[in-house]
Amino acid sequence: MIDLRNKRILVTGASSGIGREVSILASNLGAELVMIARNTQRLQETYDRLKKNNHELISCDVTDYLKVNDYIKTSVNQSGPFSGFVHCAGIDKTLPLKASTNKTFKEVFETNVFSAFEISRIICQKGNYNPFHTSIVFISSVLGLKGQIGRIVYSSSKSALLAGSKALALEYATKGIRSNCVLPGVVKTEMISKLFNNITEEAKNSIIYKHPLGIGSPSDVASLVCYLLSDKARWITGADYVIDGGYNAK
Amino acid sequence: MNKNEFLNEIAIYCEFEDSSMTLETILKTIDGYDSLSVMSMIAFIDENFGLKFSAKQFQNLTDFNSLIDLIGKEKFDND
Repeated sequence: MIDLRNKRILVTGASSGIGREVSILASNLGAELVMIARNTQRLQETYDRLKKNNHELISCDVTDYLKVNDYIKTSVNQSGPFSGFVHCAGIDKTLPLKASTNKTFKEVFETNVFSAFEISRIICQKGNYNPFHTSIVFISSVLGLKGQIGRIVYSSSKSALLAGSKALALEYATKGIRSNCVLPGVVKTEMISKLFNNITEEAKNSIIYKHPLGIGSPSDVASLVCYLLSDKARWITGADYVIDGGYNAK
Repeated sequence: MNKNEFLNEIAIYCEFEDSSMTLETILKTIDGYDSLSVMSMIAFIDENFGLKFSAKQFQNLTDFNSLIDLIGKEKFDND
């Protein structure tokens, strides 16, 4: 049984999709959540589905680093250090290379990558993390391993998380901080619904066909994330976990 | 830009090499017209007209004139 009692966990992108499911499952497993997202109303909807505990909501953009830093410091001072950080915030872009400008890369990397490591930097400061067992989990993607037409910006951002996570794992192993990546295939989230609404039926079916076990659900991913957050995963760091219904097996 | 300039510029952007293309050319008959060129056309229209279309909206298009209708004829200069 996975037990997250007495763990304070910071989750970005908690207002929808994987971030929401991670928050709900972690709360059911006893964790105390600090959730960050831009959309206050949707964040509140996640909060309403949590098992009651001393949870906190932070309505702000993950790239507003000064605010995020202040919120984390205040939260640590009031309620204690963090035992976990899950970076689920992410934005998607489907663009061919010729339209993938420096501006597009910066926009996507800011949310998907830079904020992941900036928040990790804040969490990894002495006093902000639990020195006995802290776990950081980055939500990457199978597209961090495999290419797909029109996904150069998104794929490279998700791939950047893989290498960064390994470096972080090595740098902080002696301090009791583990760092791992989860690489989901296509799961039923708002982001994917938006993608499916924009592509042809043929392209949609081709994506579904690439997943032998079908499209996943955010709760499939949340289970793996909560395992990595738990002490059961105490010997796991610098690892990448593909969870994709068989997408990567082809 | 007028309609013919639009045709020339989108052809260059998407690397369509058929020099005989006209506004009546059926999109699906263009050599090299595929899902990537649809993505490129969407990006071109976004950059030049500030309009965001989906690949789904391209499914029912026939020729460049139908694409111009989708964008809105009023957005083009007179020839």
